Amino acid sequence: MGLRWYHFTAWGLFAIGLALLPEIVSKGTLRTFIFANYLVIFAISWDLLSGRTGYISFGHPFLIGIGAYTSAILTKRFGIDVELAIPIAVIVTMIGGLIVLLPALRIRGSYFALVTLAFMELMYQLVQVIRPDLTGGTRGMSGIQTLTRGAVNGFYFSSFLMFVIAISSWFLLRTRIGTALTAIGLNESAVEGSGLSVTKLKMFAFMASAFVAGLGGAFYVHYLGSLAPRALFDINFVFTIIVAVLIGGASTIIGPIIGALFLTFLLEYLRPYLPGAERYFIYGGIALLLYMYQPKGIYALITSGWQMLQEKSVK
Amino acid sequence: MLQILIQGMLLSGLYALIAVGFTLIFSIGRILNLGYGAYLMLGGYIYFWASQSIGLPKLVAVGMAMIFGVLMGIMKFQLIVKPLKGNHVAIEISTLILAVVLQAGVVFVFGDSSKILLPIVNGVVYVADAPVTYNMLIATVSSWVILLSLYTFIRTTDIGRAMQAVSMDTKGAAICGIEPDRVNMVTWALSGGLGALGGVFFASYTQLAPSMWVGPLIISVAVVIVGGIGSIIGTLIVAHIVGFMEVIVVSVFAPELRGVFTMGLIILVLVLRPQGLFGREEL
Amino acid sequence: MTLALEIKNLVKTFGGLTATDNLNFDIKEGRSVGLIGPNGAGKTTVFSQIMGELQQTSGQISLFGTDLGTLPTSKRIRLGVSRTYQIPRPFLELSVVENIRVGLMPNSIWSMIIKGPDHTKEEKLALEVGLAETDFEKPASELSMGDLRKLELARTIATGAKVLLLDEVFAGLTTGEIAQISSLIQDLRAKGFTLLIVSHDLPALEPLIDHVIAIERGRIIATGNFKDVVNDESVRASYLGQAT
Repeated sequence: MGLRWYHFTAWGLFAIGLALLPEIVSKGTLRTFIFANYLVIFAISWDLLSGRTGYISFGHPFLIGIGAYTSAILTKRFGIDVELAIPIAVIVTMIGGLIVLLPALRIRGSYFALVTLAFMELMYQLVQVIRPDLTGGTRGMSGIQTLTRGAVNGFYFSSFLMFVIAISSWFLLRTRIGTALTAIGLNESAVEGSGLSVTKLKMFAFMASAFVAGLGGAFYVHYLGSLAPRALFDINFVFTIIVAVLIGGASTIIGPIIGALFLTFLLEYLRPYLPGAERYFIYGGIALLLYMYQPKGIYALITSGWQMLQEKSVK
Repeated sequence: MLQILIQGMLLSGLYALIAVGFTLIFSIGRILNLGYGAYLMLGGYIYFWASQSIGLPKLVAVGMAMIFGVLMGIMKFQLIVKPLKGNHVAIEISTLILAVVLQAGVVFVFGDSSKILLPIVNGVVYVADAPVTYNMLIATVSSWVILLSLYTFIRTTDIGRAMQAVSMDTKGAAICGIEPDRVNMVTWALSGGLGALGGVFFASYTQLAPSMWVGPLIISVAVVIVGGIGSIIGTLIVAHIVGFMEVIVVSVFAPELRGVFTMGLIILVLVLRPQGLFGREEL
Repeated sequence: MTLALEIKNLVKTFGGLTATDNLNFDIKEGRSVGLIGPNGAGKTTVFSQIMGELQQTSGQISLFGTDLGTLPTSKRIRLGVSRTYQIPRPFLELSVVENIRVGLMPNSIWSMIIKGPDHTKEEKLALEVGLAETDFEKPASELSMGDLRKLELARTIATGAKVLLLDEVFAGLTTGEIAQISSLIQDLRAKGFTLLIVSHDLPALEPLIDHVIAIERGRIIATGNFKDVVNDESVRASYLGQAT
């Protein structure tokens, strides 16, 4: 796997930093961190599906929404315990992942991206029409059971979830499966020509992504206590996820973490100056410039800097 | 029945007008301009600003919207498409980001709330008890006129033929002395202008809102994908399929299901017949 | 000797065009066979059908006695047949050893995750095909055509296939590189691999093969030892473009 001492040090420092954070920052900032944590989870989920394989998903909220709605409906409408509802929601989301996989067996590139966008819009419309008694229709649902009380608890809980998902995804992509998934993004037929079943590999990537999306979506809805279809199946939400991954650095797992934190804090920092949706103007502008001129993201900047430092210390 | 027929014709004409600019770009470079909806949004807002805030004559305002669209198209080509050199996914992501940025810009200038656009042409005519606004009628008629002139433009003029050549084989066209960059720029400019014009009509059909770019984008995508790669005739046919189905779904089933058919159609066609219903034709 | 590859009544049509026209041949295990013919004779089409990249219209392809039927490419490779391409298909952004790693991977997600890469095996293969140690960490995009062909051979061998289909292995190479690839193929013969080689470079092909099959328009026009086939009337005619 090519693990080095500094990998462990970095992850360790990251964990310690998360643990100490509530001592340092205000409750308001902590709430921002909670959102950042969930954004990291969604960004990792996107990265698992799209970052390496090159199958760009423009409809990731489709998966996240399945997780969120399933768990919310099970707990609120059917009185099922959260402990049971969340695993069921994750399984249902993975079935949703299979639905996203179907078009990926035949089409790729822009066409695949469009199908996923259509999936999301279809979900948005269907959720409002089919059984509004369960889904809450256009207004969505509120009064969903929450798992934590207060900013500190919510922060520790989401940080723990995010950390576990991040470190396991990171380990996963450092194994040979990571190489195989990268190879799919580079030349699919050559992967098949190396004796590996491309379908199996894609299925694994999509399932892993759906697993994380379902987990993130379900826990997120039990943090918020409410959900609204327009906020969930929204192109701005897609935009935030993709931009977080891209400016952090796709296919690295660390990149999405950096990107999501960077974006959340950019938004937070801009709040006093630009109170409304205008923040997206600056935010999107920065994202666009970064993406056009540093398509490999902030992570690539950091690693190349680190390599330069190492080379210097060797000399 | 007649009601459905009339409403269907009107909506389909509008959709054809919206989709044609998107089709143009797709046929030339196989690029999905996911920021296409932003032309419509900006066109609508420029028209609103010029005619309702400043009080310029409506026709001048429409002209301003189109000129703005053309400039946007040129800028997009020069600043995003050209530097990214045919990396389709990067162009699609960048144009999508740009659309969100522009949406935020519109909120910044005009505010978050939606605005009602006064009709470009006032008046209503009753056809078999069904009200038809002159506004929609004009939109449909202009849509037909524009599509027909575009068709003749591409078939008969030099630049139109050059566009056809580039759409078939960019390298081949370059060898024959056509500058693909110039042709591309003209196409992007044309697409921007058409998009802005479509936006003026679309906004007067629905309303002006910062998020209004998403709906037309999806309709354009549906029309282009289902109609097969960038054929103008295919665009016209599929715009009618989509338009009529929407009207039928709304009047027979439920208004909320309006978009379900469109989405379902996109998914089905892309998965089952990626080349589109009408196959691949040049422009 | 058992039959490594057996092709019976193979037909492939594209619309009205017959690319493979009732083809019959077999290769005994450990033999090296040349497949020659003018451009468009259908050599690569035969390769694609053996690998399942194209499905034959009719006829049968068997590998060590197993009918390949409609198996997907990856399954065929696991049964022991693998190919290289006229234009190499490396993973450009992966390093040389990572390219070979993909070939060495078992087709099991679980084992890909729990077992790390076998660095010694990867490097041994890279050295065997004549890649330099300094190239190991280079991305494939920086390699020369000759090295790309070597890399593709390494990845093909890495799959564990014993029957190799080599498509235009000498195309685009310098004389020096041709000599290297040539001695590499001799090594493979010595190790008992079964080879089917397509090449336009007949002088380079001659020493590498036991016998040769000449096809034209998807049909066998001559078969036998190299000298006889090359001097055959119909083969000469087909190369000169006077199709009979």
